[in-house]
Amino acid sequence: MIPGICGQGLSFQADGFRLIYLAIAVLMWGVSGVFSREYMAHYEKKGRYYLFFWATFLATAGVFLSADFYTTFIFFEIMSFTSYVWVAFDEKKESLRAAQTYLAVAVIGGMAMLMGLFLLYDLCHSLAFDQVAETAGEILSGAPVSCALGLPGRQLYVAGGLLLFGFGAKAGCFPLHIWLPKAHPVAPAPASALLSGILTKAGVFGVIVVSCRMFAADSSWGLGIVLLGLVTMFLGAFLALFSINLKRILACSSVSQIGFIMTGIGMSVLLRAAGEDGGLAVRGALLHMVNHSLFKLVLFLCAAAVFMNLHQLDLNDIQGFGRKKPFLMFCFLMGALGIGGMPLWSGYVSKTLLHESIVEYTNAVSAGGMASGIIRGVDSWGFWKGAEWIFLVSGGMTVAYMLKLFVALFVERHSVRQAEFDAMSAEYMKTSSKLALAAAAVLLPLLGMTAHKSMDLLADMGQAFFGQAGHRHTIAYFSLENLKGAGISIGIGVLLYLVAVRRPGTSGRRYTDRWLPWLDLENLLYRPLLQVVLPGIGGAVCCFLDRYLVSSVVAVFLSVSAVVCRAMDQMADFVIRTARRSTHSQIPWVADSVRCGRATDGSFSAFGKGISERKRKMSEKAACMKRQLQRNGRLVEESFSFGLMLFAIGLCLTLGYLLLVFVRQ
Amino acid sequence: MSEMLLAVPVLLPVAGGASILILHFRTEGKKDDRWLAVITESLVLLNSLVIFWLLRYRMETNLVLFRLFGNLTVRFKLDPMGGVFAGLIAFLWPLAALYSFEYMRHEERKRMFFAYYIMTYGVTAGIALAGNLVTMYLCYEMLTLVTFPLVLFPMTREAKEASRRYLYYSIGGAAFAFIGLVFVLSFSVTGNTDFVAGGVLDLAAAESWRNVLLFVYVLAFFGFGVKAALFPLHGWLPRATVAPTPVTALLHAVAVVKSGAFAILRFTYFSYGAAFLRGSWAQWVVMAAVLITIVFGSTMAVREIHWKRRLAYSTVSNLSYILFGAAMMSPLGLTAALSHLVVHAFMKICSFFCAGAVMHQTGKTQVYELDGVGREMPVTFGCLTVASLSLMGIPLLGGFISKWNLVQAAFACGGASAGAKGRLAYAGVAVILYSALMTGIYMLTVLVRAYFPKISGERIAEGYRDPGWMMLVPLLIFAAVILGLGLHFAPLMELLGEIGGEAA
Repeated sequence: MIPGICGQGLSFQADGFRLIYLAIAVLMWGVSGVFSREYMAHYEKKGRYYLFFWATFLATAGVFLSADFYTTFIFFEIMSFTSYVWVAFDEKKESLRAAQTYLAVAVIGGMAMLMGLFLLYDLCHSLAFDQVAETAGEILSGAPVSCALGLPGRQLYVAGGLLLFGFGAKAGCFPLHIWLPKAHPVAPAPASALLSGILTKAGVFGVIVVSCRMFAADSSWGLGIVLLGLVTMFLGAFLALFSINLKRILACSSVSQIGFIMTGIGMSVLLRAAGEDGGLAVRGALLHMVNHSLFKLVLFLCAAAVFMNLHQLDLNDIQGFGRKKPFLMFCFLMGALGIGGMPLWSGYVSKTLLHESIVEYTNAVSAGGMASGIIRGVDSWGFWKGAEWIFLVSGGMTVAYMLKLFVALFVERHSVRQAEFDAMSAEYMKTSSKLALAAAAVLLPLLGMTAHKSMDLLADMGQAFFGQAGHRHTIAYFSLENLKGAGISIGIGVLLYLVAVRRPGTSGRRYTDRWLPWLDLENLLYRPLLQVVLPGIGGAVCCFLDRYLVSSVVAVFLSVSAVVCRAMDQMADFVIRTARRSTHSQIPWVADSVRCGRATDGSFSAFGKGISERKRKMSEKAACMKRQLQRNGRLVEESFSFGLMLFAIGLCLTLGYLLLVFVRQ
Repeated sequence: MSEMLLAVPVLLPVAGGASILILHFRTEGKKDDRWLAVITESLVLLNSLVIFWLLRYRMETNLVLFRLFGNLTVRFKLDPMGGVFAGLIAFLWPLAALYSFEYMRHEERKRMFFAYYIMTYGVTAGIALAGNLVTMYLCYEMLTLVTFPLVLFPMTREAKEASRRYLYYSIGGAAFAFIGLVFVLSFSVTGNTDFVAGGVLDLAAAESWRNVLLFVYVLAFFGFGVKAALFPLHGWLPRATVAPTPVTALLHAVAVVKSGAFAILRFTYFSYGAAFLRGSWAQWVVMAAVLITIVFGSTMAVREIHWKRRLAYSTVSNLSYILFGAAMMSPLGLTAALSHLVVHAFMKICSFFCAGAVMHQTGKTQVYELDGVGREMPVTFGCLTVASLSLMGIPLLGGFISKWNLVQAAFACGGASAGAKGRLAYAGVAVILYSALMTGIYMLTVLVRAYFPKISGERIAEGYRDPGWMMLVPLLIFAAVILGLGLHFAPLMELLGEIGGEAA
């Protein structure tokens, strides 16, 4: 626990599972690090590659060691961004496009996860795994908890769903698997090994925490995960079967294998919900995670060896490259047999466990009385039998596409360049790379052959993380029953190979991509949605608001206020004009006479035109008269006699007044 | 006497700037420039030192500078919240000044530029240190007047139009804010407008006038919101990017707009009081406006292809993050708002300075021109990467912490007042995530273009270089601060938590 860093403080924990995964991370980074020295020798931008290579290592280790969602999230995001550089490393057009997809998935997944965390934090007031698990358990058992959405149960499912979205996007779970088949072929091969081998597992780590801790015994959740797992498993294998690019096939294979793991996780939840022991499923999922990391390390490094020499990945171009290269063949074979689920290789063990868990649940369902509360039709014997067959068929397809790769690389001959390929046999890889690859490859049969010791040990160490109680739940891996399952898968695989890949009747020399190019979830749905629909609608609305709303409001305001102001202005004008015409007229009194005269003129002119010129000039005359009058008046005013006159008038008035008073008395 | 020191950070730059404007110390060409630079930098630095000294030793000083009349006083006070803002600008200003010396090297009329630049410092410090609403209002108006010439600076047609618009918007907004001031004064329990944590409204008297007061609050919120670029009133900000980059970066991403946000925070938490507003219709009106602004700003930023305008739209949306914190009217809300205020200042000034550096070195202003520039200017784009990721809210960087705080506060706010209105706060969380996604798009497209050019090959060999040390040092410091805040936010958080706890 490191408080105070990054706001909330980081907390770490080390237990069996985490240590296993830390060890695997170290192993994988070590091996691909050694390999990278050769692979990257001719690239210019080595410094950048190694910087992000190790930064991602630290981030991944942080994810696997985290003890609360906050820490997980922080390292998860860092991991996404540092690994982005791997995908974009090439800087070719396809790589940039793939990197764009990768980044978009990472960012959107991160947002969803963050939203989930917010909801979860609101619910549990903590993000520590243990605390969250405890509160989630209480909620699922119906305890009232105050929360944002009102219904704690619903909020928990929403939060869980968002977290699953975020983690599942990284894990490559359907329908967010789109980045894997794009990103892997363009990333440097050692980096693809890590992307596929361990970065997806960081996503799975989160799925485990959400499923096995938060929804530890919730049947509907378990069913959801199983369904996702089955779809992913089948779809991935199906895509792989029809691809013709070496690394793309491996990438689709990763999607498929993640489906296996998800199925295991979901089964464990379901089994526990049904009151059974989830041990089989837990151990199966855990071991398959470990196995898949190792398979993909080996297989991608083999692909790296091919790419390093040929700079091509199309099966038609690299056909026959592996001939006369026994070491490469050995390593590839180990990986292929492992992933194909061949007995004595490690993949067999984990697949058997997963298979067993489905069988166990099927039996439990058919035994009846499974009041799991989900739709009855789904939770039936027939459905689970179907699930088992999907499982077996997907396993079969795994065999088929690995067989396809193997035959293409090591059996068939290239029609043109075979001699050239054979000549490369001496020095196609450095010794150090060979050693690293061999170390990883040898592990697979070693684990598979000592299944009861090594793999059980791993499972014992790790299962506590899945919330599985301590007791050992061993099964006989090599019993006839279990061998039969593997046999069926392998049989289906060989059959599929013969039917689908090597069509009878065709010469089989050329591999064609039978997948319809337009049937691509990304191009069909996600990109239009994100690039056209959302910004189109949102942008149009905002642009409209920006351009029209504000300006129209302003325009309306201005015009209204202009009208009002002008009206008021006019009113003031009117008042002033009236005042000037009437009470405040500046034209002196004289003018009245003029006006008078004018009026007379006017009436004259109106009444008769025959009136002489002289008479018409009444206005002038009037003005003259007035002026005369005024002058006289002024003279009078100024004169002394005027004063006397006034005095006399005053006297008269006084006398009159006195007379009045007298008379009254 | 030592109280008088509190007025120094405000008066010194104003006086200094004015004297640069008035006094003509005539020397020739280059030497003149150097003198100008030295004087400016030393003034700014001195002022920053004074502010830091005050923060360290003179917390809670109080100074009544003079009386306008009656109980309207110009009063400065240093409290923790003002201290945060003052400290922020004191940290940024000298660095921004350093940056602008190099940026403005080839411009005419530098004297006028730096004079107003320095004066703005004082006025902004005045807003930070204002002890009552009257002082803050005065400084707020002054801020419009001293920054107006800076927008006008390029003297192009565009700049004239932008500055006119800036003036209209700001003055108009301040008029609304003035209404708020009057009402606070008449309903104040103390008879003046001093900032008191928890508000000064006389609740008994206010209750009968409740709806009027709430209406006035909404008016004032939008009035102050003009500077904080609230949605219908944001129009001036993207246009004001015609100003030289140091102005856009420091003023229109930090000082001016943050003054608006700061004023709203002060007005909400220290004048009206969060308790009076919490749960009222006014709260939901302003919150809705804020959320609309966030969505609007980030969406417009994606649409915009002019780099600086894109950043300006980003500012529009990010400022509303701060206002979202204000609109929550809760202690956590204030804390979150202040934390985003601080962090966003660094992120945005860093982004703008990077854009400016690119403009200065290459003359490129549009996003689509940036193919491959990232490789040739590694330091600049390294800093831009840090700032962009932080803006998106990627962990380990400051932006993540502040967004986290905001969302936590939103949850607490929504939880406290259940019901249909409470949903708005949760909608805010969704809006923030949407905006984060949009931020991802509009910042990362720049970065991806710069690092991984669409057209590889011929464009690479143009030989652009990182700018000189005067521009790089501020960039590096900002990037380091963003990282440092992301890694160790606890001490600042504690301080902000105390402020929030006190105020609501």
